[in-house]
Amino acid sequence: MDLPRPHERPTAFDRMLTPVHRWIWSDTDRRVQKLLRFGETETDGGRDILRAAEVTSDPLLRRLYLEHAIDEFRHGVLFRHRAAELLRASQTGSNTGFQGDWLAPGGHGLDDLQVDGESDQNMLAFLHLSEKAAASRFSVYRDVMQHDLPTRAIFEEILHDETFHMNYTLTQLARVEPRLHKRHLWRARLSRLWKSYLRLATGIAAVLGSILLTIQYFVLLPPFAWLAKRAARREHFGWTKVAPGRNDSLDRQY
Amino acid sequence: MNILGISAHYHDSAAALIADGVPVCAVQEERLSRHKGDAGFPLLAIETCLQQAGIEREALDAVVFYERPMLKFDRVLTCTLRAFPESWRTFPKAMKNLLGEKAWMRGIISSHLGVPARKVLFTEHHQSHAATAFLTAPTRRAAIMTADAVGEWATFSVGEGERGSNGTTKIRRFREIRFPHSLGMLYSTFTAYLGFKVNEDEYKVMGLAGYGQPTLVEQVRKLIRRTPDGAFALDLDYFEFHTTAERSYSLRFVELFGPPRNPYEPIDLDTAEGQRFADCAASVQRVLEDTLVDLAQTLHQETGLTDLCLGGGVALNGVANVRLLAESGFERIFVPPAPGDAGCAIGAALYCDRIHFGNPDRDLPDHPFWGPSVDGSELARIAQEDGHHIEKLSENVLIDQIAGDLAAGRIVGWMEGALEFGPRALGHRSILTAPHTTKMRDRLNREIKYREPFRPFAPVVPVEAAERYFDIPPGGTRLARFMSGVFPVRPEWKPQLQAITHVDGTARVQVLEPGMAPRLHALLEAYGRRTGIPVLLNTSFNLAGEPIVNRAVEGYSTFLRSKIDILVAGGTRVTKRTSAMDKTEAGRMKEEVA
Ligand SMILES: [Fe+2]
Ligand SMILES: [Fe+2]
Ligand SMILES: [Fe+2]
Repeated sequence: MDLPRPHERPTAFDRMLTPVHRWIWSDTDRRVQKLLRFGETETDGGRDILRAAEVTSDPLLRRLYLEHAIDEFRHGVLFRHRAAELLRASQTGSNTGFQGDWLAPGGHGLDDLQVDGESDQNMLAFLHLSEKAAASRFSVYRDVMQHDLPTRAIFEEILHDETFHMNYTLTQLARVEPRLHKRHLWRARLSRLWKSYLRLATGIAAVLGSILLTIQYFVLLPPFAWLAKRAARREHFGWTKVAPGRNDSLDRQY
Repeated sequence: MNILGISAHYHDSAAALIADGVPVCAVQEERLSRHKGDAGFPLLAIETCLQQAGIEREALDAVVFYERPMLKFDRVLTCTLRAFPESWRTFPKAMKNLLGEKAWMRGIISSHLGVPARKVLFTEHHQSHAATAFLTAPTRRAAIMTADAVGEWATFSVGEGERGSNGTTKIRRFREIRFPHSLGMLYSTFTAYLGFKVNEDEYKVMGLAGYGQPTLVEQVRKLIRRTPDGAFALDLDYFEFHTTAERSYSLRFVELFGPPRNPYEPIDLDTAEGQRFADCAASVQRVLEDTLVDLAQTLHQETGLTDLCLGGGVALNGVANVRLLAESGFERIFVPPAPGDAGCAIGAALYCDRIHFGNPDRDLPDHPFWGPSVDGSELARIAQEDGHHIEKLSENVLIDQIAGDLAAGRIVGWMEGALEFGPRALGHRSILTAPHTTKMRDRLNREIKYREPFRPFAPVVPVEAAERYFDIPPGGTRLARFMSGVFPVRPEWKPQLQAITHVDGTARVQVLEPGMAPRLHALLEAYGRRTGIPVLLNTSFNLAGEPIVNRAVEGYSTFLRSKIDILVAGGTRVTKRTSAMDKTEAGRMKEEVA
């Protein structure tokens, strides 16, 4: 069993969560769902990076982004294939239960960064941080995957690429912004923090909203539901005439 | 008068601009944002339209949204109430979804575009479909039939359109069938059951149908019955799409047809299970066709007209369109290049121009090329920076050279002129290859498109030669103009056209008139001179899961990521450095930079 190389060492936070990750990955159904999800995240990340390759005016970055995007697309395929293999072996079909997504997030994700119109500097700083975070988590996932060697091998393979991604983005950031690259990294770090806060806040708001709407559903809606059902029973099947004047006005929204 | 049409929030968003009665630009948001099926508010598409027309937002006389949002809200709320209490999970999602943005379109549009609210107008969803179908078709008077999954309430409508001799235009819709009774939903339910993506993969069901027998027609007929007045109604016990967003078919459906397909398992047509899925597809396809034919026959008798305009997503079903042509009694059938919801952007704007403002009728150019243009010099610049081999060639030399490339079995990425509006690549953003062998088809599937092997590739043929290779009935050429029909390949040519002949002996052929895409036409002729057969395989220029390429740089990045051999944009021809060199270069780069 090889020790993690220095550049893919998990962060203290990820290390602390190792038992949680072990639990999440122990169950085959959960593993399948997570791998499928990861497959999507990698592919989405690949698309964003491909877009970066298409919009940058720096030829070297264009080539690197393209290589990078191809890697991410391949990671997506690796994850999906492994999930399909596990599915075939388990025969239970996919089952969406508790996935612990926020506890064991996937690889990339540029934090809703708008790739179009983003400067090379910002793009590189963001990429570097997200690749670093991915490398950290993937090394933990690899380590808790002792019971599933093929999946472990995939994480191992992917980690190798993530290390390249993490390193080239930093080197290139230093090239395009020799003096201020540290400042860019800090700005990107703060922005990532802010965006995680926003995500958390909107997540909580969404949950609260759903709870309120669900309460309203059961408290306020029953009489209307009764009326709607009664009306539905009386509704006739088949053709409905379109009254000649119905669409005379284009002003109405209804 | 400048009128902007917008279609958004359902599947793929789009914008279209009509200036003085003629389209100036129409483009789907996904082609610009590069997110497939982008359903967001189409800001990029709107920006592109304004740019292409060279006008500012203030110069817009009206902005038309393609449906009535409050009516849609009414439908969603009503259906939720009817499904009480099973709809408790759907309710919060639906309300947040609709109340978040979609229900307030007048305000949203007015604030996004900075136009006064009074300039924001609304057409009904099926009215937009009808307008797209009729107003873009070269006909004076025609019956109109629209069919999709659902708009506000309507899922199907019939009517009539007329261009008067004094320049006036009329579109009348006689009657409609309302949600949840929907042919589109019936088909989509099978799409989901067969493990494909709803609203996206319906054409896979059609492709799969070719491998099956309609042995389950009786079962499908249990799901959809005809009503005494000649319409149809679904038996809702078999469906769940009207009560929940999570699943579209019910347990009873599964009892009737057996367990659904696992989307992650490939379909193996050599197994009984695989064959069952193909039979399901063939059966729902048959019932869809029968129903459409019957409804169209009635409409034909009622109107006594010779022309039929088809709109709505169901009109993308090329097999059904051909049966309509053969059996409905109509002599000509017009399907626009974008009959789905994206196309409604153009329909809504045209409706507003001709009928709301009463502007005189205009003949419209009969082509699908309404998007941004590709720039060959942009391609030359980036490919040169990356050290690929580029040539800038004169027209004749280029055509001749590409014909040679194709004849030598090379795969060509072909970009020229303005981007197509609608889901099909009709010769401006295409991957072209020789159509002769199954080897080529398998290579395309394996190395570029990564598609299911049961999905056929389409051919393109010059109009002058179409009849020789394909059995096209009277009126069929019109359907084949925008790839809206599936026709038999003539048996004697099948051995030479293996890559584009579907298992059932048909092909979704594009018949090309020289005026529509002159360069592609010239290329087909040059290819014919070399090989004796002026037919090419034409598939959309994109990789699996990605939107069709728009600008040169997107074609270029697709070219580099796939095994496309040659890339053409305008007069620029690019070949890759050899792949062996590429590999070492990539490896070296990785090591150096890391
Ligand atoms: Fe990755
Ligand atoms: Fe990565
Ligand atoms: Fe529609």
